[in-house]
Amino acid sequence: MAELDFRGAAQPVAGPPAASLADILERVLDKGIVIAGDIKIDLLDIELLTIRLRLFVASVDTAKKAGIDWWETDPALSSRAARDALREENNELRRRLEAQEAGEDEAPRAVDAPGADSAATQGK
Amino acid sequence: MTEHGPAVPGTQATYVFAVCRDVDPAAVRDLPGVDAAEPVRALPLGTLTAVVQSVPAADFTDEAWQSRLSDQRELERYARAHHEVVSAAAAGSPTVPLPLATLYHGDERARQALAEQADRFHSALRRTARHAEWGVKVYAPAEPSVDPVPVAPPPVARSGRTRPAAGAGLAYLERKRGMHRRRESRHDDALRTAEAVDAEVSRLATGFRRLRPHGAQQTGQRDVQVLNATYLVADHRAAELVQLTRTLQERTGTRIELSGPWVPYSFVGEV
Repeated sequence: MAELDFRGAAQPVAGPPAASLADILERVLDKGIVIAGDIKIDLLDIELLTIRLRLFVASVDTAKKAGIDWWETDPALSSRAARDALREENNELRRRLEAQEAGEDEAPRAVDAPGADSAATQGK
Repeated sequence: MTEHGPAVPGTQATYVFAVCRDVDPAAVRDLPGVDAAEPVRALPLGTLTAVVQSVPAADFTDEAWQSRLSDQRELERYARAHHEVVSAAAAGSPTVPLPLATLYHGDERARQALAEQADRFHSALRRTARHAEWGVKVYAPAEPSVDPVPVAPPPVARSGRTRPAAGAGLAYLERKRGMHRRRESRHDDALRTAEAVDAEVSRLATGFRRLRPHGAQQTGQRDVQVLNATYLVADHRAAELVQLTRTLQERTGTRIELSGPWVPYSFVGEV
């Protein structure tokens, strides 16, 4: 079952009353919340009391708390970031593997089987 | 944009919530709006009507917004107040919502500035008449916290491999790689489902916009949001949309969240 927030159904476009803040913000701020661009919120070219997006840059933490954190690179959402994370973890694991084998190698290095080094270093 | 210094104390500014074809003032009169001191009211704009409220200019300076937006509770209060007025207006009349914090020097200035854009408002009203906005979110299933697959057979049988500790290290590495592959494939599956859902819902919609997915901490769940899209759907197709998302959820086994109907915030035109 789709979770349907449909309490406003009696009134055609009343809007979901229990809507999350993030849902509301991304709508009432319209495209203005696109942090990457220095778009003004005064989309109607208003003088006076308008606010600019730089305010949001100053309050990124607030926006993040409200769930508006999509300017960040999220490994869970970006495959490139996920690949980077994988590469990093692999590198880390290799480092640990090498450290482990280096530790073992201290004493018995002389009696190592000939193929051991190539096996140990594979994947580098 | 010109930025004026702090307004003279006592100066009133006009906060505009929305522009409607023909709003019933009673629909918004009793709402607190963004400043409960003055009533929310209708401001005639010739062929259209704006829903406005007089607010103390001093409360809406750059600095005031700066601190307001840094305070989540205040930000939420303003966003919800704005949304509440817009929704109330839209319940009775085709409505073009204006962005949060659209302010003018006063009624005259608001009337003048908004009247200049009457064509744009009219075309937005035509485009969104008898339509509502619906949000659709698709979630990838949460990843198991512990790798459910038992330890993979360690590749210890390599020729010349004599040290069990090293073999265990490689097995560990292999297992980690396997976990990553499974995670990536699960994620890819979810993204494909998201694309399929978007494609199907788009067919039913007259307009659509992709929004950035919300972070997990906002959704309060470990499920990762892989689609956050919003669609403009004709009122007579709303039931079809509800049924479609239900069917898609059953078919794909993926959690799909539908929210709406919203005032067509996202479809009132590029400004």
